[in-house]
Amino acid sequence: MKALYIASTGMAAQERNVEVISNNIANMRTTGYKKQRAEFQDLIYQQIRRAGSQTSETGTMVPVGVEIGSGVRTSATTRIMTTGDMIPTEKELDVAISGQGFFVIQHPDGRTAYTRDGAFERDPDGQMVTVDGYQVEPGIVIPENARGISISNDGIVEAYLGTDTEPTELGQLQIASFVNSAGLQSIGNNLFVETPASGGAQISVAAADGLGALLQGYLELSNVNSVTEISDLIAAQRAYEMNARVISGADEMLSSVSNLR
Amino acid sequence: MENAQLIGLSRQVALQRQMDVVANNMANINTAGFKNEAMLYEEYEMPVARDRDFSYSDQTLSYTQDWATMHDLSAGAIVQTGNPLDVALQGDGFLSVQTLAGERYTRDGSLKIDANGTLVTSNGQPILSEGGTVTFGPAETDIAIGQDGSISSSAGNKGRLKVVSFEAPQLLKREGDNLFSGADAVAIADTSTLVVQGAIEHSNVSGVTEMANMIRVNRAYQTLTQMIQRQDELRSKAIQTLGSMQA
Repeated sequence: MKALYIASTGMAAQERNVEVISNNIANMRTTGYKKQRAEFQDLIYQQIRRAGSQTSETGTMVPVGVEIGSGVRTSATTRIMTTGDMIPTEKELDVAISGQGFFVIQHPDGRTAYTRDGAFERDPDGQMVTVDGYQVEPGIVIPENARGISISNDGIVEAYLGTDTEPTELGQLQIASFVNSAGLQSIGNNLFVETPASGGAQISVAAADGLGALLQGYLELSNVNSVTEISDLIAAQRAYEMNARVISGADEMLSSVSNLR
Repeated sequence: MENAQLIGLSRQVALQRQMDVVANNMANINTAGFKNEAMLYEEYEMPVARDRDFSYSDQTLSYTQDWATMHDLSAGAIVQTGNPLDVALQGDGFLSVQTLAGERYTRDGSLKIDANGTLVTSNGQPILSEGGTVTFGPAETDIAIGQDGSISSSAGNKGRLKVVSFEAPQLLKREGDNLFSGADAVAIADTSTLVVQGAIEHSNVSGVTEMANMIRVNRAYQTLTQMIQRQDELRSKAIQTLGSMQA
């Protein structure tokens, strides 16, 4: 009976759905995390009686056909790129992007990576780096004697050096944007890399070309909404159970046949 | 006497197909833009099967036949997603999709942008606007889709989504991948359907109704199995009684 296989595709899809939801919930407190959504598509249909086929020589035709579908498959896990909540941290190297755009990171494997996680640090050489020690573009060096570092909303990093009374400009943070930021590939550690689907990075600075402004002393939380995730989880769980019931229902039908005589 | 069993069987075959339809609906309970399917039956008067057990004239026997699967085209729940490339349709319209086999239609509005900047479905098939496909340049941002389907970005107006509805939507054929084809359904330009950006239409499958359908199918099937069993007992009894040699 086909229903058994159809329902098993349904269970597999809901399992995938729960995996995506649980990863979202697991990353609820991950800085700059963007939630994902599992998307589904129906599978091919078996046309048992074709709509529109002729039923007589006078041209009457079947108004509605008989089509039996064969289940469901996962077509995509789309990333939703809405901005998460901003929380104040009072740390001078914490930066959040309020709006579109990504920080540009030099990944040690040679690729350029992009992130929304603006929890930056200084490495032993004074370089501005991510918490993993990856360099933030363009390499900004903060001298040892720098104090009162300020990052403006268009990304200019300034500090008072030594006993100076005028701040010195240390550099300007780069911000990248993509036509289709949902097409970026996640490589873990809060980093994304570009793919053919995302389009190439457009490097610019914050608060220009429709890009978001920077907020110093703030971090962007994940955009996971616990209430919708939990209700999605419940819906997925119920859908899973219903598909399981279809399997046992089809099994009952089969067993009633096999118990004949 | 076999007629009763054959009629029962014709119903059982149809019920098995209905179970497949229920299973497919249930499997697609989370599929964006999916439309519930319902099965219709018709009576089939078997020209060769007649009941001659009665004194009056021949009685035609009615078999059952699955006659059609109907699309339940009612709207599914529209859910906010916040993704600017998600669109939900409010009304009877469908989005037009360009495929290798010709134009196809969908209610699944989870749109994407491919490597060339073209607006596509999850399978990479271009979504059509009234002037053809929609392509965004690498530097364009702020994609906005208006209620009338007009698309704009930082580079200005990009055209309008081709939304169509059908004179005879029941003639649409399902093709999988959330697509419908409509050779006989006659697509007409739709202006009354509203396009909602940042939202998606859920499947309109009602779990409760499908569950009830499934139980009904299941019970009907078991009843028929029992009926076939009884018929068999009846026949074996008849053979025993009639065939016994005690006079």
